[in-house]
Parts: sequence; structure tokens; C-alpha cells
Amino acid sequence: MSYERDDANSINRQSFIELDARERAKALFDVGTSRELLGPFDRVESPWLSMQGVTPQADDGCVVMKGKISGQAAVVVALEGAFQGGSMGEVSGAKLTAALDLACADNEKGVPTSAVMLLETGGVRLQEANLGLAAIAEIMASILALRKHAPVISVTAGTVGCFGGMSLAAGLSSYIVLTREARLGLNGPEVIEQESGVDEFDSSDRALIWAIHGGEQRYATGLADALVEDDTQQLADVVRQLIAKGVPPVHRSSQVALYRGRIAALDTSRQWEPRELRATWGTSSSVEEKP
Amino acid sequence: MAQQTLGQVSRSWTTRRDEKRRRMQQVQPWMKGPILPRKKMIEALETLIVSGDKVVLEGDNQKQADFLSRSLVKVDAKKLHDLHLIISSISRPEHLTLFELGIAKKVDFAFAGPQSLRVSQLLEDGKLDIGAIHTYVELYARLLVDLVPNVVLVCAEQADAEGNLYTGPNTEDTPVIVEAAAFHDGIVIVQVNEIVEKLPRVDIPASWVDVVVEADRPFAVEPLFTRDPRHISELQILVGMMVIRGVYERHQVHSLNHGIGFDTAAIELLLPTYGESLGLRGKICEHWALNPHPTLIPAIERGWVKSIHSFGSEVGMDQYIAARPDIFFTGRDGSLRSNRVLCQLAGQYAVDGFIGSTLQMDADANSSTVTIGRLAGFGGAPNMGHDPHGRRHSSPAWLDLITENKPIVRGRKLVVQTVETFQSGGVPAFVETLDAVQVGKQAGMPIAPIMIYGDDVSHVVTEEGIAYLYKADGLEERRRALAAVAGVSPVGLKAKASETAALRSKGIVAYPEDLGIQRLQAKRSLLAARSMEDLVAWSGGLYNPPARFRSW
Repeated sequence: MSYERDDANSINRQSFIELDARERAKALFDVGTSRELLGPFDRVESPWLSMQGVTPQADDGCVVMKGKISGQAAVVVALEGAFQGGSMGEVSGAKLTAALDLACADNEKGVPTSAVMLLETGGVRLQEANLGLAAIAEIMASILALRKHAPVISVTAGTVGCFGGMSLAAGLSSYIVLTREARLGLNGPEVIEQESGVDEFDSSDRALIWAIHGGEQRYATGLADALVEDDTQQLADVVRQLIAKGVPPVHRSSQVALYRGRIAALDTSRQWEPRELRATWGTSSSVEEKP
Repeated sequence: MAQQTLGQVSRSWTTRRDEKRRRMQQVQPWMKGPILPRKKMIEALETLIVSGDKVVLEGDNQKQADFLSRSLVKVDAKKLHDLHLIISSISRPEHLTLFELGIAKKVDFAFAGPQSLRVSQLLEDGKLDIGAIHTYVELYARLLVDLVPNVVLVCAEQADAEGNLYTGPNTEDTPVIVEAAAFHDGIVIVQVNEIVEKLPRVDIPASWVDVVVEADRPFAVEPLFTRDPRHISELQILVGMMVIRGVYERHQVHSLNHGIGFDTAAIELLLPTYGESLGLRGKICEHWALNPHPTLIPAIERGWVKSIHSFGSEVGMDQYIAARPDIFFTGRDGSLRSNRVLCQLAGQYAVDGFIGSTLQMDADANSSTVTIGRLAGFGGAPNMGHDPHGRRHSSPAWLDLITENKPIVRGRKLVVQTVETFQSGGVPAFVETLDAVQVGKQAGMPIAPIMIYGDDVSHVVTEEGIAYLYKADGLEERRRALAAVAGVSPVGLKAKASETAALRSKGIVAYPEDLGIQRLQAKRSLLAARSMEDLVAWSGGLYNPPARFRSW
């Protein structure tokens, strides 16, 4: 699903991007139903950052909230892009994993509980190295366990985007929701430029970056399920609709043959333009319907 | 050849004209009318310019005659050297390569923002002599007095086969540069983006132009006046609210110029929200001498703005401007007509107030953007940032700054400086001595390079409050007023609580609460637009931001 831009509404809307992680998480719940788990006053913070001269944050940049969405139990985990680029460390990773696992356990007990991940992250927190990598492996395992029972929805609104290991986590989720301002990709532009040179990818060329990693392109090439305005109400509505849709008949990440086929069919002897790819790969709705 | 004989004195009165004719004749064989083929450019420069010439190279604040500057660095420095360059804005790397190669030796300029480090270095290495650092109007005035150019290298969007020029929305400095050469037998060389059959409008007539060449690519122009609302901080919003209440509303500022910065962008975006809530529409901020700031779009759309005259255009604003001819100055073709000199004069004489931000300010409110290792120059801020004593017409704001009760008094222009007490990295903005003093000494300048002199400053606004310096009685009270808003900087630490309380009761210092502003009100949700996407939406899709400002 995608939404037409409406300039008048756009001016009066409540921006989702403007919200911090805590406000974002809260905005998705039915009013008055949410509570934070392991909040900043529990002071569970990274033990590794201060050793490296980085001031830790009392919630480690990961906000977990439990409550109701459309009257049904849900957990929302929001990563704070403003803290260490939303990176995943030992603590933030464990919080996200535990939240998904508890949701999974509730489902197994017969309490339908879906999960929403608000991903503004560059991936593994470099200061925590292997612990961050291990955390991402655990997150992925937990998503795979939960998504059988209830939809796991990834939302990336901007402005950090979702990159690195956490883009794999997004890829495993049942539905991906993006704004035009969002970016989703395995390697971030700076990493590609650093590894393959500026001729391969100029990380200062914002038009190029958004033509490839941007929300509109990801949606138009079938790699995301919804493209929404930067509008809190609209975004919350879309999350509700996707929860109502339930577990998809087939997850995107299970369609290995489809995506291998797409890659194989690409003529790599020439440079493809991002726009052409839209025409060739089409929108996500066609993907969803295919068994 | 007019020659006169008076007694024993016999001289030619046409040396400039003869010399121009001699040079032009040498390139004549290559030309078709005024059109020179591109491949002959370097040879033509070597022929039309002579060592030691005064040459204006059009490097404006925004547009750059970059094909000509890129060609000039390729001339043979043995044939052509020691030029005296006049560049209003040293913006491009090749402007300074000319000095490294010895093609140029001396420079008179106004601004060197992007190249300020290298200017400083070349000066130290003895590769470059600085005539003087000017303001824009001042530099152009000298083209008509003691810096009359031999050759000018300028740019335009289009030319026709006759050599008429269309400068497009970014007219900027071209008319005055061309005028100084064309009417004193200088040679006018123009790079154009394209040669067309019919021009949308004629900005400069063919009879002022000697050589036209089609450039290899369109002239460079930078979006210098675009600020992404996403990066406006709540501190800047607080300062903006204080300016609206404590300065614009207090003195009924109807006409003004805004320096570019996030502080002023915040003010522009607060007008349709906070300003509207105070019922100020139609009472302040109606007439502007200003580049087409994208952050002014919401205020324009909400009916705040009656007119805007511009120094130059702004990348991405062309369609929006063309659709709002009641507001902007446009030609018959519909596109913007800008003019730096005229707009600077408007900003100097015709506006109630100027507001700009600075990096450093001393206890007497002197300020400069020249800091150690950087010779940034002044640009246009000092033109607008001073009280022009040649002003004779009055306006409510001008009269409101009169503090004396005498039969003969004059009004005063508002010169407002906004300063955050500390710059990023915890460096205090208020200092005992400006870096400019030391830089001036090192560079052998006759006086320290001050951007805005303290005695011209009427108001200083920081996140702490407003100092109404114009009201202060004597230098001592003035210093105390400034210290009262200078936070915990070295200057601010001199403030005494009892003195500050007295200044507040006299209305010489106002803190937010004195103005009816609560600090916690200063939220980003008050901004009429919080992102570039919002600005596009406000413009109804007419504003087309350049790629580097897009996140979609």
C-alpha cells in the first residue's frame, strides 16, 4: 500500500521522523495502553562504552514497550538513531531479543501478540564487536520463531535508515514499512564507497543514494510492503492494518527461488538505472499474493 | 584620434581605447561577430590580457565564471603573469591556483569563505598580495574609481549571435562589472551556457560586450541560502522567538534583511506559527532585501510577505519565484531579476533592520568571522550591518531607536547580532580579544579586519536574552548589558547579578520571561516546516530542492 502526497495535509501532519524512539513507540499503541519495559530508570546500560570513552545511555538506545494495538497485545521495540547511530550492542540486542522471545512465548500460550521493530540503525555497534554480531544472530533467530505465530513488522522512517546486520533482521520480518525519507540496505553508502571506490558508489551523491536505498525505490521494486508519508497517524494506521492482515501466507525471505531468479535474469553486462528496475521487478503486492 | 596641443604638452587622450583596439584586432580573425570558438579561449586570454592588467574575474557569492577561471589557469605564465585580480568572492580552487602559478599576484576581494584557509596560507607564503578586503558595494564602487579594470571575465546564461546577454535569475554582480569595463574601454569577455536565436529578455546589451564564448558546461552556482529545517535546534528557536517579540514587534520592523543561518531560518519559520499567534501578520516583516530563502516560503504562502528584492537567486527556487511575481522582482519573461549592488544598497539604506549571526564577539560588541588561520572576508554583512548616516527618510522602527530628547536627532537602523554564547566544541563566542586582531597584525593589515563594529550594533540576542545596546548610557553600561546576556563565557562571567537586575528593570536587558516567553515553549513543533519535504509541500511542489538537500 502506498499513499498519495497531499501538500495541505503534509503541512498539518504530525511528523513521525521528528519523534524520538520513546515517542515513536508510544505513538503506535492504543492510547493509554502502553508501558515501558526495562526503561531508563532500570539503568541497564552498556558496560563496554565507558571503557572506550563513550558515554553510555541508561536505556542503551533501545526502547521496549508493551501494550495494545487495535485491542490486541503487541510489543514495540524502537531503536534510538540519535544514540550511537542506533547501533546494536550487547544490551540493546538482548532487550530486543528478549522482547521478541516473550512475545513468542505469549503466542504459544494462546495470547496473540505481534511485534513491531522501529529500526533506525547502522547495524552492529562497532565498540561491542562480536557481542553485537551475536546479538543480531539472536535477533534473527527470534524473529523466525515469532513470525510463525504473529506478524513481525519492521518500520524505518528516517533519518538514520536501516543498514548492516539489522537490514537482515528487517528482511526476515513479515512486513516492511518505509517512508520516502527512509533508506534500507545491507551496506551503507559510505561502506560501499570505502570498499569499492567512489566510481562504484559516491556516498556524497544523495540523489543516487535515495534512488537505490530510498524508501520509494525499495517499495517500487517489491522489497517493502508499504510506503507511507512521514505522518504519525498514517503510520500507526498502516501498522494496524498489517497486524490485522496477520501472518503472510509466505514470507518474503522464504521466496528464495523468486529472488534468485530475478538476479539471474538481470543482464549485468550493462548499467541498470534504478527506474528500470522498478518496471522489471514490480511492486510488492504481486509478491505477497504469489504462494 | 583626438589629439590636442597645449603649449608644449602633447598627449593622446585615447590610450585606453587604442590599446583595446590593438588587442581586439589580434583576436578578430578567430571571431564571428562577438562569438569566439571555445577552443581558442586560452590563446584569446593570452592575447586580450596583458601582464600587470587589472582583471575582474566574476566569482560572485553564488554564480562563478568557472569556464573562464578554468581557462585562465591554463595560460602560459611566462606570457601572462602578475595580474591584479578583483574577485568579489574567492570561491573556486582555481582562483588561488592562479597565484600559485604566478599568473596573478595581487587580489582585491570581498569574501573568501570556501577558500579562506588557502588565502591565509598563500599570504603567509608570499604568493599573494592583498590590496584590501572589502564589502561588496565597496569593491564595486572602486571599479568606478581607482580599480577600473582592463579586462572583465563574466558569465551569463545565454547570448544571441549579436552578443546580447540574458543573465537569468542569477544576475548578481554581472551588470556592474560589465558597466565598469564597457564604458571605460575595458574588454568584456563573457562565458555563456548557450548561444540561442532569441533571448527571453536582454539583461545586458550587445554594445557593452566584446567577446562571447559558449562554455563547456553551465556556470557553477551553489545553493548557499538553503538551510534544512531538520537541523534547526530548540536553542535557535528560542532565539527566534525572542527576536520576534523583543525586536521585531517591539520596534515595528516592517522592512529587513536576514543574514543566512539557522537562527534566521528559525525566525522565518516561526512567523506563520508563533508570529501568527501574536497577531503580528501585517505588522512586521513585510518588505525584504533578501535572497529567495526556501525557509521563507511558509511566511510568503501565509501572506506575511509583501515584497522581496534579491541579490541573487537560489538553486531550486526558480519555478516558485516565477509563480509569485507579486512578491519577487521578475522580468517580462517571468524569471527573477536579481542585482547584488542594488540589493545591497536597498539593504543599506531602505530597510529598518539587519540581523545576522557571528562566530566571535568582544565585550564592546565588535564581531568578526575572521579567525586564526582563516581569512574569510566580509561579503555583504557590513553593508547592511551598519547604521548608514546618509539615511534621511524615517520609519516607525528608525524613529523608535531615538534615545535623546533634543531638537536635532536622527533615527537609527536596527543592527541585530545573534550569538550563541558557546560555539560547538565548547568554544566561547564571547571573547576578551577577537582573533581578528592577531590575524590583522600577522597579515600586515593597517587595521584589524572587523566585520561589524560594536558601535553600529543596536541589539545582541543570545539564548540568555536580549541586550538593547542602543539604550545603554555610556560605554560602561553598554558592556554590562552585553555581559548580562553573554552566559558563562569570559565576557559573561563579569556580569553582576545586582547590575543585571537594574538593567532588566530599565529595559536595557530582557530575559525570555521579561518578554513573556517561556523557555520550554521553544519546541521544534513550532516551526512551520521541519524538513525540506515540508518546504516543498508549502510551495505546492514549485520548490525543487537540489539533490544534496533531499532525503527522498
